[in-house]
Amino acid sequence: MRETRVSNYILAAFSAFSLIMLSLPLSTPVRAFKACVVYLCNPVAYHGAKGVQRLADLPPGMARLLSVDMENVRLRAERRNALWLKTELEALRTENRRLYQALGLKVPGERTALWASVMERDPLHWYNSIMVNAGADQGVTLNAPVFGGKDGILFAVGRVTEVRKDSAIVLLLTDELSSVAAYLSTAAVEGLVQGQGGPRLRMNYLPSEAVLTKGDLIYTSPTSVTFPSEVLLGRVAAVNSRDPFLTFQSVEVEPAVDAASLTDVMILRPEGAAGKGSPSLPATPLPRPTSTAPFQKSGLASAQGVHKSTAPATAQEGR
Amino acid sequence: MSHLRGAVLFVAAAFLQWWWSTHLSLWGLSPQVLLVLTVAIAARAGSNPGMCYGFLWGLFLDALRPHLFGANAFALMLAGYATGTMRRQMDVVDIVSQCVVVFLLTWGYFLFYGLLGLVFAKTFFWVGWAACLCDPLYNCLLVPFAALCWAWLRERL
Repeated sequence: MRETRVSNYILAAFSAFSLIMLSLPLSTPVRAFKACVVYLCNPVAYHGAKGVQRLADLPPGMARLLSVDMENVRLRAERRNALWLKTELEALRTENRRLYQALGLKVPGERTALWASVMERDPLHWYNSIMVNAGADQGVTLNAPVFGGKDGILFAVGRVTEVRKDSAIVLLLTDELSSVAAYLSTAAVEGLVQGQGGPRLRMNYLPSEAVLTKGDLIYTSPTSVTFPSEVLLGRVAAVNSRDPFLTFQSVEVEPAVDAASLTDVMILRPEGAAGKGSPSLPATPLPRPTSTAPFQKSGLASAQGVHKSTAPATAQEGR
Repeated sequence: MSHLRGAVLFVAAAFLQWWWSTHLSLWGLSPQVLLVLTVAIAARAGSNPGMCYGFLWGLFLDALRPHLFGANAFALMLAGYATGTMRRQMDVVDIVSQCVVVFLLTWGYFLFYGLLGLVFAKTFFWVGWAACLCDPLYNCLLVPFAALCWAWLRERL
């Protein structure tokens, strides 16, 4: 009997409370009470959602862990092989230096890589220059060659034309004042790649009898003063019609990397020139391109072989 | 029932209701776990605990929904009261009879919630034919589970 009476009291109290909440939803006490209830009850849903998400993330996390472990094993094996390659490289470098000396030639200085980020790009001179966040403090020197990396392949980008304390100005290959000695991979002829102030380059001074084909890859020449040899510059986008009054041919060149997409660049600096500042990005070796992979990715060209030219170039580089 | 048991039951049931309706709903249908548990508590411990749990769980449901704050609390509290009242007339602890009570109270819950909408929001909150026909059966399937939960809580806490 007592229980029934209490039940009726509770029923009346809760019913009255519910009806007040239902009929006066915008009143301050009801809104305050609702805020309290939401504050107390929301953690159930919030932490529940987080817990469920963690459980859902468990299988992909485990899969990622396994793949990372497998990659770690592979990289360890690669590192062991790299030790042998490094030893072999050192031996070849020493032998090369000895042969240079035996022939009475000047021994080329060794250089190390420094990665830097693109800080600024002038919209009015989009294809002319960029500013990078490495300067004299990091060992950057004037005329140092600058490269871009894409899909693990190294491309020539330009050269340093102004060095400041913590930054440097890079003159892009697409600038009208840029030029670099280069050779065509299949035609085995050398020429001078020059910027035009736009997205494309032009390769001039190609022999008039050379057979030029669209899609040929263009690499820096061994005779290039600034750039190391065998670095990809771009590919032949169009063969210009022959001018009867000129003794050479020219081709339009599509750069391997678009200046607009550059975010990080690699600068070569002389060995031992590392300044007091640390590089902004770790130096990572990139493989030399052996196919048209970057172009194939964008569906631009067919695969081409790589010819190693040793013919001397007479063209002058620089501004 | 100790306070600890009550708190554990409240939070666990609220979480179960949220989790089931969020991640385990089939074709948009999920059981009213809190209604089944309210009936189970009212059938075993009397109408007073059933009403209190029903009201608090109803507030939890209202906090998750944007409209009619207090409707679920009112409806579940009435479900606890109705079960407690029936307890004096029949054996609602028995699984079969409790299934019948849950089955009927599910429809009563839908109807009452809709009517509250009609009165306070000028629109009848219709849950849909699928929920109206399937949810009572779905809830009945949970009755043995609720009985097991109750037994487990009484033993452990």
